[in-house]
Amino acid sequence: MIVVDSLRKSLRTGSTTVDILKGIDFTIERGEFAAIMGASGSGKSTLLGLLAGLDNPTSGNVHLNGTAISYLPEDKLAQLRGKTIGFVFQSYQLIPTLTALENVLLPYELNDDSGNRKAGLDRARQLLESVGLTARLDHYPVQLSGGEQQRVALARAFVLKPPIVLADEPTGNLDTTNGQHILELLLQLNHAEGTTLVLVTHDPALAAHATRVITLRDGLVVGDAAQTPSTAHL
Amino acid sequence: MPSLSYSTASRIAARELRASRGKFVFVILSVAIGVAALTGVRGFSSSFRSMLLLRARSIMAADLAARTTRQPTPLEQAGVDKITAAGNEETQVVELLSMASSTASLDPLLVSLKAVDPAKYPFYGEVNLAPAMPLSQALTPSTVAVGDDLLLRLHLQVGDSIKLGTRVYRIAASVVEEPDRLSGSFAAGPRVLLSNEALADSGLLAPGSRASRRFLFKLPPPKPGTASSDEAVAALKTQLEAALPEAQVTDYREANPGLTKGLDGATGLLSLMSLVALVLGAVGVAMAMRAHLQQRLDSIAIMKSLGASSGQIMKIYLLQTLLLGLGGGLLGVVLGIGVQLAFPLFLAKLLHITPDFRLDPRSYAIGLGAGLLTTLLFTLPPLLDIRGVRPILILRRAVEVSDDPFSTRLLRKLQGSAAQLGAIALILAGLTFLAARVSDSRQIGGFFAGGLVLVLLVLLAMSALTLYLLRFFLNRTRLHLPSAVRHGLANLYRPGNPSAALLAALGLGVMQIVTVYIAQRAVVEQMQTSTSAKLPNIFLIDIANDEVAGVRALLAQQPNIRGTPEIVPVVSSRLLAIDGVPASQLKLQHMPRRMLQSLNLTWPPTDEPPPGDKVIRGEWWTAAQAAASAKHPLVAVERLEADRLGISPGQQITFAAQDAEFTATVAAVYEPDSLHAFSRGEFVLPQPALAGLPVVWYGGVHCDPGATSQLQRALYKSYPTITVINVAATLETVRQVILQITYVIQFLSGFSIFAGIVILASSIAGTRYRRIREVVVLKTLGATRPRIAAIFSIEFAVLGLVAGFVGLIFANILARLILLHVLHFDYRFQPWMTLGAWLLTAALTVAAGWLASHRILGQKPLEVLREE
Repeated sequence: MIVVDSLRKSLRTGSTTVDILKGIDFTIERGEFAAIMGASGSGKSTLLGLLAGLDNPTSGNVHLNGTAISYLPEDKLAQLRGKTIGFVFQSYQLIPTLTALENVLLPYELNDDSGNRKAGLDRARQLLESVGLTARLDHYPVQLSGGEQQRVALARAFVLKPPIVLADEPTGNLDTTNGQHILELLLQLNHAEGTTLVLVTHDPALAAHATRVITLRDGLVVGDAAQTPSTAHL
Repeated sequence: MPSLSYSTASRIAARELRASRGKFVFVILSVAIGVAALTGVRGFSSSFRSMLLLRARSIMAADLAARTTRQPTPLEQAGVDKITAAGNEETQVVELLSMASSTASLDPLLVSLKAVDPAKYPFYGEVNLAPAMPLSQALTPSTVAVGDDLLLRLHLQVGDSIKLGTRVYRIAASVVEEPDRLSGSFAAGPRVLLSNEALADSGLLAPGSRASRRFLFKLPPPKPGTASSDEAVAALKTQLEAALPEAQVTDYREANPGLTKGLDGATGLLSLMSLVALVLGAVGVAMAMRAHLQQRLDSIAIMKSLGASSGQIMKIYLLQTLLLGLGGGLLGVVLGIGVQLAFPLFLAKLLHITPDFRLDPRSYAIGLGAGLLTTLLFTLPPLLDIRGVRPILILRRAVEVSDDPFSTRLLRKLQGSAAQLGAIALILAGLTFLAARVSDSRQIGGFFAGGLVLVLLVLLAMSALTLYLLRFFLNRTRLHLPSAVRHGLANLYRPGNPSAALLAALGLGVMQIVTVYIAQRAVVEQMQTSTSAKLPNIFLIDIANDEVAGVRALLAQQPNIRGTPEIVPVVSSRLLAIDGVPASQLKLQHMPRRMLQSLNLTWPPTDEPPPGDKVIRGEWWTAAQAAASAKHPLVAVERLEADRLGISPGQQITFAAQDAEFTATVAAVYEPDSLHAFSRGEFVLPQPALAGLPVVWYGGVHCDPGATSQLQRALYKSYPTITVINVAATLETVRQVILQITYVIQFLSGFSIFAGIVILASSIAGTRYRRIREVVVLKTLGATRPRIAAIFSIEFAVLGLVAGFVGLIFANILARLILLHVLHFDYRFQPWMTLGAWLLTAALTVAAGWLASHRILGQKPLEVLREE
């Protein structure tokens, strides 16, 4: 479960202060698929980053499964993130010096305590197979197309079976066909793993597949409604 | 296409500089440090060297000396007059043996007379008298100065009188120190110093008397307080040898080979350090500019997509480079002047001297020009890369994977890189030009520039090979390695990563720094050995055969003797023939024929060359050959003597000693260091070859300078016929000069090394920008800071280890070449030092990487992602 409590975020640039989030409150239940929508500059990506503990809010807090995370020490946050959250970036953010397989394996190596590398490898291979990249295991990101890189990023996000997956405009850098494919994969993996999924998007067609849509405007929640997810083919 | 005006290009360039001030500090610092080291080292070393060269001349009290055994002929005198008419100063020193007695007892004593012109002598150094007074006051037509031992033997004091020849002279003072004592004759008998006029009055200088004359010459200094150049001295030497064909002409450098070797070593080393500083600065600039342009790829791609041509864009970055080079160069000159001012303050306690500080605009102009030129040259290759940037880069960073064979790909790459290769050729030509200008030793300059080509090529090849091997290793073991290790190693290479360039740059930097360290350490150690406090500073002349054991015993009992006394046998001999050619028909080079009548033969204490002698041609004899030398004599000849007589190994010399004649084969030619008692013998033979011949012994001991009088009294008490020559004060001068050289070398090399490390660190730091994104992603995925630190530490450590390995191999090769063939010092491989340097390189690389990158660890991921 994700609980957002009076969240504010301001940024100082030079002598001006910009209020990005002006007081956000909501709760996302376990297993929900929530889409956060809003125009460019509404604060969506900042909100998602704060949900993942990638920054500290100016005030307020985020609770993940009962733990307040916003002011935890950095290393503790990293450990929590590793085990609890899978993140899909808009610009993939793969490690350029690692192959596709190694990129997917990385969260496992960083966070798994069992010491069972073989299990991790098998899981990584299985995930890459499920996103259609069996033939690209040993390729570097720079040798993959944008769509292929995002598929690797998807697989990476799910390798540790995190309870929460956050996706920031996962199809924003892709063409329509690839974007559709990515979303299908995301939804498939989500259903298969039973995660809580929070998706930031400005595309209503994508948001239509969510069970809930939270709309932001000028740093505030202006809409928060449950809906029946569309089953239409993307 | 309309061209971009310079004002617009400058505006864009300046705006970019302002926006990335912090980053460009590295570039400016790299240039500044390189130029500062260059101008500071050169400026200080040149003023220090001038001062040292003046002191070195005091060993001879002149720039040049010509030794003859007779007055010059009218023709010879005309030659000398021509030399003095050209502005050179000249004075005569006459030395001869005579008898002196006190007016009280008239018991005669053999003394060594030295007559000088007190108005001119000495040209360098000072004669110290007790009581202290000017030399012209002590040496009048009726007064003399005498050595302590004369006062001792004749039971006289200052103020008493002695009889010399037909005249009586009052003793005005005792001689404490003569600057050129080592260069004069080591004849038996206490010293009496008198004026030429007094000698003439004494009647001792009759025609045919066996006086030796030294004509001392001083060249006019180029500027007050400076020494004339070695080239001017060499030119005058040639003139003198032509004017006085039978004289032995030596320059100040030959008066004390140990000292001049030290000065040459210092000159060579300082040239090397200047060059290293220059190239290291250039390396820093190249790496920083490369990193900067890498980050500008997006801007460049955008500009091209907006219609800018490669030429227009290159103009912007060329101007930027010029601004940086100029800024760095000016800062470097200011820092260099500061260095020049600060060095003497730092070293004042050690050196006890303060060289004059002189602004040297020419030196600063060279430094500034060198900084600007190297900045431009080393920025050319990355600038030329701009031509290859395609606008599509904004959207996609792609590497083209080709299935063509390696040779085809290489050929295509070479064809496409024609401009790059041209730029590299230009760089090397520029560096060669700079090296020749900057280096005071043309040999080192040429060596360095030439060697740099080879080293760069090999380093690049080795770096590429290393990365290839690393990739090969990783591909085989990849998933079996711990992830932090794998990740760290993988960071070293990836398609398009310039790790090879960084490895080459680091390797080059390590190579240069360690070369300087090895070379200066070798030079300093060997120079310190040559001034060891155990070398003789008291010489004993005319020890009889039956006195040797007693003298050894006496010396052993003296508390103030350091080291083992050197007691050397000398057999007086005549040279009869060389290869059958009689002495009267031999062609001699600047040597009076009369000198063939009194040569000093000696034998070494063991079957090795005597201490201080180094074989330069031929080979020393074996123990078996020594044992057989009674029947088949061998001889080793001192170098100067060999040059004058035209002798080489293999030739036969016929000697005569008393009534015995024998012929010896020349086995070797050796160079003495003139610091040991053994240096007195010009011909060394194995003992069996000289068995049965009359021997007189010479000795050399080291006595604490304050206790020499005590030793002299002890010796005189037991062995009154032995002459004691005290050169402690003169040798102390030599020792001080050499120590000063070693301190300066160490200090300047430390400074150069420090500068080099700073520059390399900034090169490593320049790679930190690509880490930021990586750190953020890792943090997002759950990596803690220690984990991230481990990954990057492995990357830095491997970088440092590989660069260190390659650099150290080449450092030892280069140091060996420079020490043996250029500086003429010995080279010894030092395994522990090398191992330590290797590990230190890795440690410093990690430290440098972290110094630049540690703040990244603390950055919030979203701060960075927001900039995406």
